[in-house]
This record gives sequence, structure tokens and C-alpha cells, in this order.
Amino acid sequence: CATEYRKAQKSTDNEYKYQVAMDLYQREKWYKANNLFEQIMPAMRGTEEAEDMQFKYAYGCYNQKQYTMSSHYFKTFYQTYSRSEKAEEAMYMSAYSLVKDSPREELDQSSTTEAISALQSFLNKYPNSEYAPEGNRIIGELQEKLATKAYLIAKQYYLLRKWKAAMVTFENFRKDFPDSKYNEELAFLRLESSHTLATQSTYQKKEDRFSETIEIYQKFIEKYPESTYLKSAEKLYGDSLNQLEKIAKNKNS
Amino acid sequence: QEATAQFRMGVGRKIDNTIKLDYGNPKEYEIAEIDVQGIETLNKSALLSLTGLKVGDKVRIPGDDISNAIRKLWKHGIIGDVSILVNKLEDGQAFLTLELKERPRLTRFEFQGISKSQSKELGEKIKLIRGRVLTDAIVKNAELSIRDFYVDKGHLNVDVKTKQIEDTLVTSGVRLIFDVTKNNKVRIDKINVFGAEAIDDQTVKRKMKKTNENLRFKLPNRLASDLISLGKPENMKYFLTHQEGDGGSSVKDYLNENVKLNFFKSTKFIRTEYEEDLDKVITYYNSRGYRDAQIMEDSVYASGKDRINVDLHIEEGQKYYFRDVEWVGNFVYTDEIMNKILGVKKGDVYDMELINKKLNFNPNGPDVYGQYMDNGYLAFRCEPVEVKVEGDSIDVEMRIVEGAQFTINKVRLTGNDRTNDHVVYRELRTVPGDKFSRDMIIRTQRELSQLGYFDAETINPVPLPNMAAETVDIEWGVQERPSDQISLSGGWGGSFGFVGTVGLTFNNFSVKNIFDKSTYRPLPSGDGQKLSLNIQANGVQYQSYAIGFTEPWLGGRKPTSLNVSFNHSVQRIFPFNDFSFTNQIGFLKMWGASIGLGKRLTWPDDWFTISYALSMQTYEMENYTYSRLGFDTGTSTNFSFITTLSRNSVDNPMYPRTGSLVSTRLAMTPPYSLFNNKDYDNIDNEEKYRFVEFYKVNFDLKNYVQIWGDLVLETKAHFGHMGSYTNQVGVGPFERFEMGGSGLSGGNFMLGTDIVALRGYQDRSLIPYNPEEQIQGGTTFVKYTAELRYPLSLNPSATIYVHTFAEAGNNFNEVSSFDPFDVKRSAGVGARIFMPAFGLIGIDWGYGFDPTPTQPAGGPSGSQFHFTIGQQIR
Repeated sequence: CATEYRKAQKSTDNEYKYQVAMDLYQREKWYKANNLFEQIMPAMRGTEEAEDMQFKYAYGCYNQKQYTMSSHYFKTFYQTYSRSEKAEEAMYMSAYSLVKDSPREELDQSSTTEAISALQSFLNKYPNSEYAPEGNRIIGELQEKLATKAYLIAKQYYLLRKWKAAMVTFENFRKDFPDSKYNEELAFLRLESSHTLATQSTYQKKEDRFSETIEIYQKFIEKYPESTYLKSAEKLYGDSLNQLEKIAKNKNS
Repeated sequence: QEATAQFRMGVGRKIDNTIKLDYGNPKEYEIAEIDVQGIETLNKSALLSLTGLKVGDKVRIPGDDISNAIRKLWKHGIIGDVSILVNKLEDGQAFLTLELKERPRLTRFEFQGISKSQSKELGEKIKLIRGRVLTDAIVKNAELSIRDFYVDKGHLNVDVKTKQIEDTLVTSGVRLIFDVTKNNKVRIDKINVFGAEAIDDQTVKRKMKKTNENLRFKLPNRLASDLISLGKPENMKYFLTHQEGDGGSSVKDYLNENVKLNFFKSTKFIRTEYEEDLDKVITYYNSRGYRDAQIMEDSVYASGKDRINVDLHIEEGQKYYFRDVEWVGNFVYTDEIMNKILGVKKGDVYDMELINKKLNFNPNGPDVYGQYMDNGYLAFRCEPVEVKVEGDSIDVEMRIVEGAQFTINKVRLTGNDRTNDHVVYRELRTVPGDKFSRDMIIRTQRELSQLGYFDAETINPVPLPNMAAETVDIEWGVQERPSDQISLSGGWGGSFGFVGTVGLTFNNFSVKNIFDKSTYRPLPSGDGQKLSLNIQANGVQYQSYAIGFTEPWLGGRKPTSLNVSFNHSVQRIFPFNDFSFTNQIGFLKMWGASIGLGKRLTWPDDWFTISYALSMQTYEMENYTYSRLGFDTGTSTNFSFITTLSRNSVDNPMYPRTGSLVSTRLAMTPPYSLFNNKDYDNIDNEEKYRFVEFYKVNFDLKNYVQIWGDLVLETKAHFGHMGSYTNQVGVGPFERFEMGGSGLSGGNFMLGTDIVALRGYQDRSLIPYNPEEQIQGGTTFVKYTAELRYPLSLNPSATIYVHTFAEAGNNFNEVSSFDPFDVKRSAGVGARIFMPAFGLIGIDWGYGFDPTPTQPAGGPSGSQFHFTIGQQIR
């Protein structure tokens, strides 16, 4: 078979190449099959076999784990043959290739966001597809991943003791991921950051910052009245009140 | 250019004339039939599937569906012409005909008359797609691209002919052959400048950076002919009776007319560059106060075979001066502060370029935008307006819109495909909640590039302001580049013969991910840790192993680096030509370990770092006759504490242009002799060196200055000294300085020594010897270097530069004989290439002007070649 592949590679007979490529594809020799497909595709544009070939080529890329490529070729397929019965599968696979390409959360998530929007367009177009339930589940997973990424970045500012930055980032996180499981923890850390920032501030800024801490505390207990952090939060609240009292006394005297 | 597809309806031969399409009122029809006409090789149903039209579909006629179908078909580039005809409209049904014309398709193309490499380059440039339909326009465009390609190279008279040949392999296939006749390059003979008075012609020509006159040296000929003509009586009489008024300038003109020594400049004529150069001339005039200067006319004409002349007619206009500069709209900073930054005084030569430089970006000092931009005023705008022109004086108003103070809201990072977020985020100086600052962006950009994980030239910070909220998001775009290095080398190492070295450095290692297979590329990566391995061996006689690990942010909270390393090496002595273990006569085994902590400081400024290290090295000897220690069986231990304080503001690690590096290092062993009560005057060497005792100071200075463009001058000075705590102990043989050559440690595997390069002299040729103590090596050295560098390529995948250097240095056995001016001098040239996978590799040729102690004849050291690997500190 290896010799046949080599022979096909050198042959100028497109029909022969096509036969060998199809045979290789059946036997899951993705790399070799795709190589032959590549050679004949320009010449076979507009022929009957072209449609099937492009679909198989995209799967060939997918099976070789070249997900960026496979996503692209599935996309070309469903755009070109929008009336093909395989268009639905191609559109899903184009999105699913991007899902496969999504790296761990500490790296750039461009393909994750792309995957989410591709899946979303798929679901909009084929809401009753057999792939729809899985598509929905994957979207949820990917969003969770984005939330974890944002959580780790926000938490790093806290670790680096950049209190102001941590507060801004925690607040942005709450807006971006209102349903995330991390919200309670970050809400408490925001309170703690605010308190620490106020404590470390110069005297002139202390009053404003402790007042802000108190506001943050009030919002915190409203939202999480049974929080596991309640005790620690109350302590910070108490201390902030004491500090404000001291400042008020100093002012009066 | 694409020919447009036609959408014809109700026009044509077979069409029933009764069909009337109402364009004002499209109706929906069901497609009853699609007939395809005019195809020869293509498949009917495949083509139909490409159009997206199908029998049974509902389409609007006239409407988008039909035109979309044409567009889709056309996009594939396989047909020459397409029209869709409506044959019949009946009972809400439409009968369509697809009329196609097949045209030959391009199967192959080739070039004649040009080199292979240019064919390849052109092949990519002309963008011909094989398998597509060939039209006249496509051929014409290809020809034009080929023409442009050669015109840009100076072949103004290039000739391109295209042949179309039927390709018998494929039906209706066509082969293209481009026959290119390049002809000679056209060069510029002379540039004639007319009307330049305030600025002389030569300066005008010099400002044209890329359009230059051809090399000419006609002086001897011209002098000869002038002398001959002077010999004629009437000329002689004229010469004797007429005194030239402006002697100096006529000599200059005379020389200029006949001599042009443009050895390294391009003298090709390239239209786009020529036009840029004309702008440069005007810019130069403007910068000298000639605000109205313009080029009235320019002409380019042939002056001979392959030669052209350029005539420029310049109108200089008047010279202007600044009068009053007024600031309008500044509330945050006073006029006084702004004037100080701008630095323009009444009566200065009018120069808008200078104002713009001081306004937007001034590399040598503060600028107006920076004053605001570094303090959050992101929307700051300042527009200089000439408000009054009176005689030769101009009043300028600086109109300012300060805008709001922006706070950083979100900071994003894209493009990190290998490196984890936290490794990058901890380095960013653009922090949420802070005021926007341009300076911090520039500094972060520099620091990210120094991490070495990203392509320095493409680090791209994008501020995305939100005007309503007065906040700004900052998006950092990076591109990963390979940061791991491998080095393989071999060389002759003294008595060991051939010694091979394998070195591996992983600069973006991750200990945490050792068990996570998905992060392997090829080793676990992404946490910014560094792991290096080094193995050196020549078989059983000599082996050395070293491993080192660095975590740059210990605990992830502060940039405190932790550094751990181990090394072990062994040398075995065998009887002559007998290398079996059982017969070994003696050995030297060394073990070493060190642990260090490095911290970034914020005081005196935040370019400083300090590091501490504990290091231990033991030497175990048995019958080791080469020891030079005065004993050959026993153990020595060198235990030292090292402190290094350094300040580094170098802008780019690969090719520094500005900045400096200052470093002081102090290494100390415990002062054993102060409390061990040993009688050092009557002690054998084994006892004396059981615990090595010394202190050592190093001082290193490097400075980079940009001379012109990318031409950079590096100046370096290095000094080192080691001594003993008490006189009785003396400075032992360990850790001494050895100087000369490339500075590589190759060939020296013995007692820890400090090797200093000195080009132009043989490797380790400057090692003083003290016959009284019988100890080799210097205790004090000094070295100065000046190196002028110019880059050939700043491409991050291969940074290449050439340099020329002058060096001087010397190594002294005793501090009493130290003299900073008694140095061995050398000069030479060299080149360096940096490739991410191999690190820095270089070659130097140097000439040493002074004799070395090892050359008894005492002549100069002479010509030497040096090969180097890696960045040398000294």
C-alpha cells in the first residue's frame, strides 16, 4: 500500500489518485489520504466528487488533531455546500474543532471564545439538532473555564498584595460572571483587600477608605447572609468602625 | 480585476418575449427546472450544488437569490462567464437556464530568463492560483507584478513577454511562460540641484538618503585636460589676468563635479524611494526655518546607456523665526512648565518638526504628551497652530484639550500559547485601578521582552479607552517564541584530547506540571522557571555534570528568585594508553552545590537587584600529581558567601541600544585563620588548604550609546581583586584570575578559576607566575573594552550583528604590582549571531599589540581568531 501511495503521488492521473486517496481514507491513513486530496482538489473543483472530498479532507485534519485546520475546512465546507445534508454536521464539527483547540485556562483563550460563539451560531441555526444538547453542555463548560481564568488572574493581584488592583478586578469579575461559584469567595476577599488598603493608607485617606470598607461589608452580608466567611467579615467590620471612631475623636480634639 | 458576472433576464435568443419582470415588485416563485448550458468538462449537478439553487426552492425574482447564486459560482474561479436566464414564469413556477462559458484553466506557470531564487520569490508575489480560470486581466496583472518587482530592483527597462501554451495533460488547461528580459540596472549619473542657495547642493543631495549619484572619479582625466587647455596662450592669459573671487567654493564645486565616492550607497533609481527622498529634502528645509520651501519641478531623463540624470528645481522661500508661543487650554500644568518642556525661545529658527518632536515623543527628554499621558490624561490633545505671520516672525498657539484622567480598568493578555498568565501578569506595570501612564506601558514592553519568552519586536500594548466611564482597558498582545536552548560542542581540552559538551537550557520550565503530560513541549512548560543541564566528557578520563534550577518568583508574591545548582566532575589518571577503571592511578573528584536568593530593589531606584549565594566546592584528590597545590592526596573545601549588587537598565537583551549595567560582587570565605590557632608559617599545604580562605571583589560596568540609527557603541570596564585576611595565610591557588582569548572555560577543568577574555591574545595566555610561592594566576586584573556594533538582522529568529573593537587589559600576580595603565592592547573585528535555539555564537579576529609572558621572544601577540558561545560577562 505504501508503494501504491507513492505511485499515486507521482501519477498525473487524477482519477487514480482519487481512488487511492479514498482507499487510504477508509483505512484511516489520514496523513497520506490528505496529501493526495490536496494534490487533486484544485483540479477537481466543480466536479461531483469535490463535495465528498472536501468533507473527508476536513475529517482527515480533525483526525490528525490539526484542529485549527479542520475547523477552517469544515467551515469552508458548510459555506460552500450550504444545502448539503452534511452541512449541519460540518458546522458542528467546525465549532467542535475549536473546542478541541481550547488550551488550559492559564493560556490565551482566543479559541475558547471563538468556540463559544461558533457553537452558539450552530445552536441558533439548528436548535433541534441531535448535537444540540452536547453543544449546550460544552458551552457551559467553556464559560466555566473562562471564569476560572478570570478568577486566577484576579486572585493573583490579591496574592501580589496589589489591593486596589484586586478590588477593581474582583468587581469586574462579579459583573462578567454573575453566576460563578467563585463570587462569594471573591466578595469576601474584596472586603479584606479594602480593609487592608485602608489600614495601610496615609492618615488623610483613611477615613474615606474605611467608610468604603463598611459599604462593601454591608453589601456582602446582604448578598451572603449565611456565608462561611461571616465571622472574619464581621471582625473586619468591627475594626473599621473602631478606626473611624478614632479618626472622628482626633478630629474633634 | 474580476470580470463581472452578468445577470441577464428576459433578454436573449430563446426567451419568450412575453416575460415581463417587474423590478419594482419582486415575486416569489418556485424553481421548477434548472437547465445548464455551455459546460464541457464540468459536472452539472456539482455546479448546481455550488450555486445553492435547487429545484423546488422558493426564490424571489428579481432578487438576491439569483445574484447570490452567480456570485457563489464566480467565487470558485472555475468558469469564465455565467448568466442565469429566466425562460418561463408560470403558475408561480420559474424555469431557469444557467448559461456558462468554460474558459481554459491555469495548470502551471514558469519563468524564463531569471534565476531560480527569483523565480521562487516571484511565484509567491504574482499570486496566480493554479486551477483557476485564466483571463486576460489575470495575465496582465501578473505581468505588471513582474515588472514592478524588477523596477524596484532598479531594472527600469525590464521586458516581460507571456506565452500561453495548451497543456495537453488536462482538458482545457493552459500553461503560462513568462519570458523576462531584465536588461541592465539603470543607475543615476548625476543629480543637478537648481535654486538651492541657503543650503548648498551637497547637503540637499545628502538628505536624499536612498537616491544617490553613481560613483565617479574623473579627477585625473579632468586635471590633465584642464592643464592642456591652460597651455594654450589665450587661456593662459585669461588665467593670469582674472582673479577668482570665491576661490574656496569653486574648488569645492570643481571637486564635486569630478569626484563622487559613493562606495556603499545604492545608486539605483526607485520611484517610491525617490519620492520619499524629495519629501526628506523639504523636511530638511522646513527644519532650518524655510517653511515655504518646495520643489517646483523635477525631471528624470536618460543621460546615456543605463544612466539617468535627475534635475531638481527648488524654491527655498524665506527663512522664518519663532516669536511668541502661547498655551491655551492647560489647567493642570502651568505655562511655565509647558514652556520648559517645549524649550522654544523667541528668535529661534522656526522648526515645526522640532515642536512636533517635543510634543509627541522626545527620546532625549520629556515631551508634552508624556507630561499628560503619564498621569492618566489619555485623551489629551495638543495642536500647534500658526496664528500670525509677520515678516519673518511667526506666532504659535499651542491649543490643548486636556480631557479626563483615565483609570485602568481591565488588563488583558492575548497570544500566550505556552506561558501561563501569572508569569506575565506579575511583570505588568499597568495595574487595574492605577492612572493610565504611557511611561509604564513603555517600561512594561521592555521588561516583557527581557523575559525572553516573547518576540520583542511584536509585543503590542493596545489601550482601549471607555470615554464615558473614563476608564481604559489595556490589551497586551504577545507572540511566543522558542526560548529553550541546546548547545553541542566539542573541542580539544589540554591533556584530555577531545572533550564533548552537551548543554540544555529550558527557560520556561514548570515543576508543577511535571505530571501533566499536556504541557510537555517537549518538557513541562509555562511557569517561567529555568532548568539547565550540562554534561561534559571525553570518556572515562574526564566527566563533568551540572544541573541548575531557578524559580524567578519564589512563592509568587515577590520577585525574589531562588537558585539551586549542583555540579560534580571527576578526572582520572591512568597509565599511558590504558584506560580501564581497575588500573587507575589517581583521581580528582569535585562536588559543588550552591543556593542563592535574588531580590529586586526599589531603592535607590527600581533598576537595582541584589543577590546572595552560598556556595560549596570540595576537591578530593588521590595521587593527583597535577594538583599544583604542593600535596596530591587530600581534600580541600571552598565554602563561600557571595553578595552581588547590580543595576541593569539595558533596553534589549539581544541587541542593546541604550542603558547600562553596573555590578559589584563580593565573595568571602569564613576567616578560619582568625580562630583556628594554626601556625601558618610551619604548616604543610594539605593542612593549609583544607579550608580555602580568601576574599574576592569584582566590579563590572557596561554602557550602551546609540551613535546613529542602529549603530551602537558598547563601552565596558572590568576590575577584579582577591586577597587574604591575614598575611601569613596568603592568597591560595584557588579562584585566581586567568586572562586571554575567548573567555571560554574550555581546556581548564582544574581548580576553580575565574577566566577573563582578552581578544587578540591566546586563550589563558596572561597568567602571571610567582616562582617563590610556585602559584600560577593573577590576584588582580583590569580590562577595558570599546566595541562599535552594527546589526545586519534584527529578526528575532536570527539576530546578527558585526562589530569592531579595541581592548586592553592585564592580569597581575600581586596587588603591589598592579598598575591600571600597564595593559596589553588589542583591536579587531567580529560578528555575533543569536538564534533562539542555540544562543549566542560568535567569531572574532583580534590583533594583540603587546607581548605575553609566555612568548619569550617578546614580539607582539599578533593575529588571533576566537570562537565564542554564550553571552560573556567579562
